[in-house]
Amino acid sequence: MLIPKSSSVACQGLSGGWGSHAPAGLASQSHRQYFLAMQNSTQPGGLSSAPFSNPTLPRLAPRAYGGFNWIGFGTLYAKEVRRFIAVGTQTILAPMVTTLLFLAVFVLALGHSVDQVGGQPYILFLVPGLIMMAMTQNAFANTSSSLMIAKVQGNIVDLLMPPLSPLEQTIGVAAGGLTRGLAVGLATGLAMWIFVPITIAHPLFALFHGVMASLLLALIGMLAGIWAEKFDHMAAVTNFVITPLSFLSGTFYSTERLSPAWKAVAHVNPFFYMIDGFRYGFIGHADGSLAAGIAILCVSNLVLLVLVHRCFARGYKLKA
Amino acid sequence: MKPFPPSSARQAGIGPLQPRRFGLVNWIGLGALTGRQIRGGLADYHYQVLGPVVSCLLYLTIFHLAISTMRGNAGGDLLAFIAPGLIIYAACEKAYEASAATLILDKHERVIFDQLMAPVTAFERSLAYCIGPAICGLAVGLAVAVMSLVFAPLRPHDPLALIFFAVAGTIMHGLIGTLVGVWAQKWDQYAAIMTFMLLPLSFLSGVFYRIADLPELAQQVIRFNPIFYVIDGFRHGLTGEGTDLGLAVSVVAIVDLVLFLWVYIWFRTGYRLKP
Repeated sequence: MLIPKSSSVACQGLSGGWGSHAPAGLASQSHRQYFLAMQNSTQPGGLSSAPFSNPTLPRLAPRAYGGFNWIGFGTLYAKEVRRFIAVGTQTILAPMVTTLLFLAVFVLALGHSVDQVGGQPYILFLVPGLIMMAMTQNAFANTSSSLMIAKVQGNIVDLLMPPLSPLEQTIGVAAGGLTRGLAVGLATGLAMWIFVPITIAHPLFALFHGVMASLLLALIGMLAGIWAEKFDHMAAVTNFVITPLSFLSGTFYSTERLSPAWKAVAHVNPFFYMIDGFRYGFIGHADGSLAAGIAILCVSNLVLLVLVHRCFARGYKLKA
Repeated sequence: MKPFPPSSARQAGIGPLQPRRFGLVNWIGLGALTGRQIRGGLADYHYQVLGPVVSCLLYLTIFHLAISTMRGNAGGDLLAFIAPGLIIYAACEKAYEASAATLILDKHERVIFDQLMAPVTAFERSLAYCIGPAICGLAVGLAVAVMSLVFAPLRPHDPLALIFFAVAGTIMHGLIGTLVGVWAQKWDQYAAIMTFMLLPLSFLSGVFYRIADLPELAQQVIRFNPIFYVIDGFRHGLTGEGTDLGLAVSVVAIVDLVLFLWVYIWFRTGYRLKP
C-alpha cells in the first residue's frame, strides 16, 4: 500500500519539472516550493509519509534548504570554475600570450614616437587597459560559452532541473565568469610584471573595478548565451559588439586629446569607465569622472542582474 | 540474367555501365573538392568575411586614434605601413582557418570518408586543399584591402610581387592548416597552433612595426621565420618598401613546395585519416 504511493510521489517529483503531467496545483510551483510543500506536509498518508515502515531507518525526505541553497550554488560555481580550469591552456594561457603580444606590438609600433601619456610612459599607460581588456573578454567568453554549449548539447536541463532558484542560478554562473576574469587578469598582470615595472597606486580601487567589470561582462555573456541559438549568433555578438566596444574604449590612447566627436563616442562607452577607473587604480590618473564610472558600473550591474534573474525565472529561451 | 542496359537502350546508343574514365587529372573531383572548400570557408559570409574585416578595421581605427593623439599628422605613413600587414595577415588567417576547420569538422562528423572513398588521387586532394583555402583567403584579403582604403591611400607599387606574395602566402597558410587539420584530434589543438604559433609569428614579424627598429639579435631570429617574408614581400608589392625581393620569393616558394610535398605524403599514406 505504501510503496505504490511513494512511487507515485516520485513520479510527481519527476514530472513536476515539465508541468504537463503533474497535478494542476503543483505544475505552477517551482521545484523549491514543491519540495518544501512535501517537506512541510504532516498529514498522515500525505506526501511526507515514509516509504518504509521500519522505524530504525531515518525518515526519507527531500533535503531541506534554508533561504539560500548553498550546496547547489557551491556545486554550480565549482562546475563553472572546473570547466575553464580543465582547458587552462585555452582559457588562461592563451589570453595571457595574446595580451603580451598586444603589449609588445603597440609598444614597438608606437612607443618610440610617444614620450608621455597621462603623465606616464606609454607602456605604463597601456598595461592596465590591456589587463582589463583580457579580463572582460574572458569573463564574457566564460558565461556565454557555458550557457551556449549547454543549450546546444542539451545538458542545460542539468542547470534547470536541480532545486536551484533563479537567483542561485544567476549568481552561480556569473561568479564562474567573474573568477575566470580575475584569474586571467592576475595571470596577465603577473606575466607583464616580468617585463614592465608595474606599480599599483590604489589597490582597492583597481580591485573594485576589476571585480565590477568582470561581473558586468559575465552578466552580459549570460544574456548573450541565453539569447543566442547558434554559435554564429555568439560569434556575431563577440565580433561586432564586445570586441569593438573594448577596443574603442581608450585602452590604447588617452581620450583627453581625441577630437570632440571621438571623445563623445568614447565617453558613452561603458567600457571606457571600467578601463579608466582600473587605470586610475594603477597610475593614479583618470581621463574621465571616477564617480560617474562607479555609478555606471554599479547601476548597470544591478540592472543586468535583475534582467538575467528574470530570464531564468521565466525560462526565456531556456524552458520549453 | 538480362543484360543491362536493356537492348532498347543499347539500340539507342547507350553502352554497358562502367566506371567513369578520368584522364591524368580528375578535373571533376578536383573542382568539386575545391568548391566545397570555398563554400565551407565563405558560406556564412556575415561572420566569415565580415568578422575579419571588422577586426582589421578596428586595428586601423585604434592605430589611427592613437597616432592622432600622439604625434599630430605624422601618422599617415605608419597607417600606410600597417594596412598591408593587416591585409595579408587577415588573408593568411582565413586560409589557415578554411582548411584546418573543415578538416577537423569532417573528421568529427565522420564525413571525411566521402573524400577518401571518392576517385580523387592524393595529388588532386593536396591541390584542392591548396586552391580552396587560398581563394577564401584572397577573398577576405580583398575585402579588408577595400575597407582599409578609408585610412590609407594604397596604390599597388609592384602588382606582380603583390599577387605572388598574396597567393603564395595564402597557399602557405592553407597548407599549414591542412597539416594541422590532419594532425589535430581536438579543437583545442587547432586553436593552440593559431594562438601560440601563427599569431606570434605574424604579429612579431612586422605586421605592425619595422623590424629594423628591433635589436640586431631579434632581427636575425626573425629572418628564420618564413611568414616574415610573406608579410615583407606583400608590403613591398603594395608600398615599395625596401626588401630583398629575390630572397623573399625563393624562401616563400621553397616553403610552399616543401609544405605541399608534406601534405601530399600525408594524404598518400593516409596518416591519421585512414585506419
